[in-house]
Amino acid sequence: MDFSTSITFNGLIQQFLIGLSRTTILFIVSSGLSLVLGVLRIPNVAHGSLYMLGAFLCYTIASFLGASSLGFWLAILLAPLVVALVSLAVERGLFCHLYDREHLMLLLFTFALMLIFGDIVKAVWGSEYRSLSPPEVFQGSLSILGMPFPKYNLFLLCVGPLVALALWFLTQKTKIGKIARAAAVDRDMVAAVGINVSWVFASVFVIGCYLAGLGGALVAPTQNISQGMDHTIIMEAFLIVIIGGLGNVWGALLGALIFGLTASMGILVWPQFSIVFPYAAVVIVLVFRPKGLLKATW
Amino acid sequence: MVKILSTRYGKSSGFKLLLAFSVIILILALCPQFLPRFFVYLLALILISGLQATSLNVALGYGGMYQFHHAVFFGIGAYTVSIMLMKTNLPPALSFLAGPMVAAMLGFIMGLICVRLSKLYFGMLQLSLGSLVWIVVFRWYSFTGGDDGLHGVPVPALISSVNGSYYFALITSIVSLFMMYVILNSPFGRILQAIRDNPERSEGVGVRVKLHQLVTQVIAAFFAGVAGVLFVTVEGSAFPDLLSWTLSLEFIIMCLLGGWFTFLGPMLGAAIIVSLRTLVGVYTEYWTFALAVILMLLIFFLPEGVLGYFQRFSQVPDHSPAEDK
Amino acid sequence: MRKGLAMFVAVVMSFMFLVSSVSSFAAGEIKVGIIDTYSGPPSSYALDVLDGFKLALNKINADGGVVGQKIVFVTRDDKFKVDLGLTAAKELIMRENVTILMGTINSAVSLAVSDLAKKEKIPFLVTYGKSSNITGAKGHKYVFSMNENTEMIGKAAAIGLSNRPFVNYWIAGDDYEYGHAIADAVWNHLKKIKPDVQLMGQSWWKVGEPDFTPYITSILSSKPDAVIVATGGAGCIPFLKAAKNTGFTSKVPIYMHTGTELSTLRPLGLDAPEGVIGTSNYYFYYPETPENRIFVEEFKKAYGRYPSFGSLIGLYTANFIAKAFEKAGKVDSEKFAEALSGLTIDSPVGKLTVREFDNQVMLPMFMGVTKKAPGFDFLIATDIVTIPADELMPSIENIKTIREK
Repeated sequence: MDFSTSITFNGLIQQFLIGLSRTTILFIVSSGLSLVLGVLRIPNVAHGSLYMLGAFLCYTIASFLGASSLGFWLAILLAPLVVALVSLAVERGLFCHLYDREHLMLLLFTFALMLIFGDIVKAVWGSEYRSLSPPEVFQGSLSILGMPFPKYNLFLLCVGPLVALALWFLTQKTKIGKIARAAAVDRDMVAAVGINVSWVFASVFVIGCYLAGLGGALVAPTQNISQGMDHTIIMEAFLIVIIGGLGNVWGALLGALIFGLTASMGILVWPQFSIVFPYAAVVIVLVFRPKGLLKATW
Repeated sequence: MVKILSTRYGKSSGFKLLLAFSVIILILALCPQFLPRFFVYLLALILISGLQATSLNVALGYGGMYQFHHAVFFGIGAYTVSIMLMKTNLPPALSFLAGPMVAAMLGFIMGLICVRLSKLYFGMLQLSLGSLVWIVVFRWYSFTGGDDGLHGVPVPALISSVNGSYYFALITSIVSLFMMYVILNSPFGRILQAIRDNPERSEGVGVRVKLHQLVTQVIAAFFAGVAGVLFVTVEGSAFPDLLSWTLSLEFIIMCLLGGWFTFLGPMLGAAIIVSLRTLVGVYTEYWTFALAVILMLLIFFLPEGVLGYFQRFSQVPDHSPAEDK
Repeated sequence: MRKGLAMFVAVVMSFMFLVSSVSSFAAGEIKVGIIDTYSGPPSSYALDVLDGFKLALNKINADGGVVGQKIVFVTRDDKFKVDLGLTAAKELIMRENVTILMGTINSAVSLAVSDLAKKEKIPFLVTYGKSSNITGAKGHKYVFSMNENTEMIGKAAAIGLSNRPFVNYWIAGDDYEYGHAIADAVWNHLKKIKPDVQLMGQSWWKVGEPDFTPYITSILSSKPDAVIVATGGAGCIPFLKAAKNTGFTSKVPIYMHTGTELSTLRPLGLDAPEGVIGTSNYYFYYPETPENRIFVEEFKKAYGRYPSFGSLIGLYTANFIAKAFEKAGKVDSEKFAEALSGLTIDSPVGKLTVREFDNQVMLPMFMGVTKKAPGFDFLIATDIVTIPADELMPSIENIKTIREK
């Protein structure tokens, strides 16, 4: 075991900022899952597949429109919308018949979906790596405290809080948000009041999946776009949602912060085993706060 | 055995059932005589996966626990026997026994931490703890072979051949299945199902819920360890994939597919998945797609799994949970 | 319950016989079974190997095959998993009755199948697995390696790096066996050749890590002279991308095995960083021998792209197989294994020999630096230094000692 000997204050700040930008993506994806799991009670394992689909679509749209800045922005805008449309089709066609089933059956179902999406992506895009560049304005890095900080990560740092605010507004201040929160707690009562629960669920599901697609589209310029993206993100997203509190968007933010920061700071402390820290953090949280850190919907 | 079956199915049925089982066991025992080598190997794999899935179902279907990372116990059993056979000079029988014992111990430790929670939270905690175990196995190259895995494990010659390992797997699984069946139909098993159906009421009646759940974890882990040991005798290798969460998910799928409210459901699910995976894989790399479509159809039309559906035919009083939905 | 059971058995049995035991091969053919990863990112390498293999095979069969028979093959996807790879290998041996096995990119699968090959006495040619244990500690009569291994990479890199002025090194890479093996091999050999090199620290990330920025920044803050980047197939491309985006490569020189190879540089296009030091076993543009040019032309004509090292492997593996059967005189696994050991063939990069002691093919390595070049939409290697095969082969003495343990 050998600890890094050069933990400077600058290094600490640097790692902290990096951890935050990773948090953004984790938060966006996890908040979507939190909504789906919290309101609809569907353990959607295919959430990761939608994230992967968002990334691939972003790549395709951006490449199709040329490597310009406009192409990139359009891709970020369109890719999640396409994912949302796909999810709407899946929801209306398949899910809405299954809301009364056992959780484990729903798990099985979404697992099958994950396999299907995975194979579709493989068939359409092939198995090779795809690589997407960020738009000109975000290429390269800024020097913060003497260290290079990629401009695109700064962009992500700004996007994160924006999405969080938008979600907060949606769930707390809009009518649909209030209905959704009510349906999360007692769907029968909501139906009894005369509201079409089915459409409420559909909307929440689509929003959740849109977030997954958005996360995928945003992450596309920073990493490899390939199969296997769905597997890696889904476990992290589930863990974050659980420690944050089911259905709680702020909980997802908190969980993502914990996950992202323990991962990036862990690199300073114990580089060889830094992957241990997020999981250890999850174990600690669950042992002391079994229902998650913030209030869950069920 | 007849007595247990009789109490459940009526006296004459119980006897006929035992006869049916014996016939099946006889057929399975004679398989190597008329089946090609590869299919004997495949049957052995099915038995192992089925045993693992059945042990999972002890916790999942009978115990109602969200056992999300059961593969950890399977893998630890496999690694224990491999490491002991390769690195120590102890008699092989001891190594074979050590596998399930270590798995059971791990089940106890993890259970202690996890049973305080329930449902989804239990599953997630188990996933996290299991992942930590996986990380240790994956990185400890000098002891576990890291991600290269351990290969060429010196399994005793008698049981390392295709037929030998098959018979060993057959006998061991039958004995293990028998033991699990007896446990699940004992008073302990009944209390377990009661806990599954209504933990609060059970607690109210004086049942020590958490203790029962912990014991169930140990039992499930023990038999998973047995399956892990069998895996090593058939394949001669152990590797970190055996502790991955994707494998755990596969075993859950086997239980759900076959029917998780039945005893033999998981075995059937294992048979279907292993066969599909191997034989359809010969023709296309998109066999996962085929599997997924079949799963979807099943969920829509056979929500209680394949065996659950078949059981409807004979209208046997099965033991599905009495849940208010 | 009885009916349920009967159905259960019926279903199981019918699955068994669902696929009849008729194999895919006809009589009078030499059967090769290929196990490789045809799903996910590693598949691009597997497909490269397969394309090169098919190119050579077409020619061999057009010339009448070997010992009067055509060579045919089937493929199985191991999806980068050991249990699937093992089952596929058993299926190929027991059901398809292949004479020889080929594959795979995953070292763990390669080792597992190698062990099976030893038990079943079926020759197994490893095409892309790079663990030195394959022909080293766990080598045996029936396993052959058709590509370089981590020991060879380490020796070659050490020779190349020792000629550069770097003293303080940082080691980083994918946190799995392959990454650590390369790093250890490079470092141990470098230290032997140039004892004054110092290791400042190490960073290891999980395989498939999507975000390297935190690691890159922590390495930069330590200011090493150079970084040895030990990434595998999954990590090379994303790491180089991140290195370019953060300006890493313009601050600190990095060395990466396959950093100059086509499979790594082609997907990155003109976005790849310049100035990366890399080793590779093959460049389609160097050396410019007539054999190499012919191979590149034929490959480009057949597949519409330039051949990478993987395709070269596929090509000469097919040629090794053909010549070994010719030398053996008949389709027999034992004789094939004996014939292949120590065999020499011609290839686009000159004569290649399978070393008799450990069945390891002797390949030269080329170290170069990435640079943009006119006429290509990807970077190529310049300032190429050749490290001849005999300088980088694993030491026979070492292997003997390890095997005796």
